[in-house]
Amino acid sequence: MTDSEPVLVLRGAAFRHPGGAGVTGLRLTVAPGEAVAVIGPNGAGKSTLLRGILGLVPLVEGAMRVGGAEHAADGMIGFLPQSSDLDPDFPISLEQVVMQGRYRRLGLLRWPGRRDREVVRGALETVGLSDRARRRFGELSGGQRQRGMLARALASEPVLLLLDEPFNGLDQANRDALIDTIRTLKSRGVAIIVSTHDLELARQVCDSVLLVNGSQIGCGPVDDVLTLENIQECFEGVEVEIDEHTVVVPGHEGH
Amino acid sequence: MSLGDMLFGAFALPFMGRALLVLLVLSVVAGIVGVLVNLRGLEFISDGLTHAVFPGLAIGLAVGGTAGLVPGAAIAALIGAVLLTLFVRAGVTSDAAVAVVLTATFSVGVIVVSLSDDYAGELEALLFGRVLTIAPEDVVPLLVVSLVAAVAVAATLKQQVFRAFDPQGSRAAGDRGLALDLVLNASIALVVVAGASTVGTLLVLALLIVPGASARLATVHLWRLFPIAAAVGAVSAWLGLAAGFGVSVGAGIDLPAGSTVVAVFVAVYALMLAVRLVRDRMTRGAPTSVAARPSADAMGER
Repeated sequence: MTDSEPVLVLRGAAFRHPGGAGVTGLRLTVAPGEAVAVIGPNGAGKSTLLRGILGLVPLVEGAMRVGGAEHAADGMIGFLPQSSDLDPDFPISLEQVVMQGRYRRLGLLRWPGRRDREVVRGALETVGLSDRARRRFGELSGGQRQRGMLARALASEPVLLLLDEPFNGLDQANRDALIDTIRTLKSRGVAIIVSTHDLELARQVCDSVLLVNGSQIGCGPVDDVLTLENIQECFEGVEVEIDEHTVVVPGHEGH
Repeated sequence: MSLGDMLFGAFALPFMGRALLVLLVLSVVAGIVGVLVNLRGLEFISDGLTHAVFPGLAIGLAVGGTAGLVPGAAIAALIGAVLLTLFVRAGVTSDAAVAVVLTATFSVGVIVVSLSDDYAGELEALLFGRVLTIAPEDVVPLLVVSLVAAVAVAATLKQQVFRAFDPQGSRAAGDRGLALDLVLNASIALVVVAGASTVGTLLVLALLIVPGASARLATVHLWRLFPIAAAVGAVSAWLGLAAGFGVSVGAGIDLPAGSTVVAVFVAVYALMLAVRLVRDRMTRGAPTSVAARPSADAMGER
């Protein structure tokens, strides 16, 4: 794979859970170092799209290429799930959680070596948690845990990073830290797809936007896609936050 | 009889030596598997497997005598492990699934045993084990069964811990949950098989559960749990056999060996719980509630 070659290409792709909800009509190209915001209301299929790229939800239509191949190679995609409720009493340290990001590359029988520990250290540094490496994961604050999970996603040294609603429930400090991390990763050439219903965030760190609500509504540079008309179509009747104001998007009148 | 005789000399007797060898290997393996049982909260499934093994033991005994015990139990345990894994996966709540498997298989076992001539004697041996009368030719099969479980768990240990901690994350990283569950449940089943013919189907659960729970009391360090649980298992097995022998021979009180071993397992757990409570009190200056699945942040280590 060369630098110019896209990390991800979706051509008329649709992902659908067996017998369940799906998201259709996806056309998207993501280059190295590019950040794409996937925006849509709750239940629009944002998570389904991310899980489809991961291979956890079947591709039922169209085509997908990840890193030039039909399936992602081990560790190529890093994934930060929506804040998952993990047992806070589980006896595991932050660095041990981050090391789990290396397991895919290690396979079944190999145990982490020096290089793996270096990568884990680097990932913790990137998210700004080096001083917490040996703390028990359950003792960390919610925002720190979220950054810890991001470090785990980074430990696989992904070329594509999928972030599912990473800003939900974060305080301002952790939000700023996460935005910094995203900028750092972009500058290193990591492609990022971040699902959110936070339009402001899209403007801050993303190069382009994919608007979805069951199917793709628009895709392209932030200012081209985040038009009033598109947002109305996507968020009809939904509350959204724009520049710290909450508004209810009215429906199309006269259409 | 001196303490030295009890702790060491006794095992020069061939039947005591065999009992020690089998029980040491089994306890170490059960301790390691038991840490995963603890981390995954699979205690009830383990209980279900101990009962599922019972008809296998009974049929094996009826068909092949004592040599039929291990194969019979192994077949029953593996069938039980697969069924339980699939039940749980199919969305049957695991408690209900286990209860169905548990009662159904146990009744089948009792019916089979009741057909034999020595109903009471056979039933007792199956339920409470025959650790002191392990035949020389049964030693190798029991060790093999234990070691297969150890290898299966060791080969998937990182992934098992990952899945125990974060099943969604493990799946997103490409691990197959079903395969991991089958390996773990089959390993539990194999431990139950080896345990059923030594300490009996009713008591084997202690070998699986107690060392893991003890390790959780002793440390919050993930990778220390496994050696600690193995050590707790090994020491308890050794002291239990020695105590049973010492009391039976020295004091003339006929203690059943398997039950004595389990009593020592529980005593070691109680001791570790007491130490933990004292440590908590010293580090915090106030008593902390310690449940079976203790919160580890009271431990004062890092």
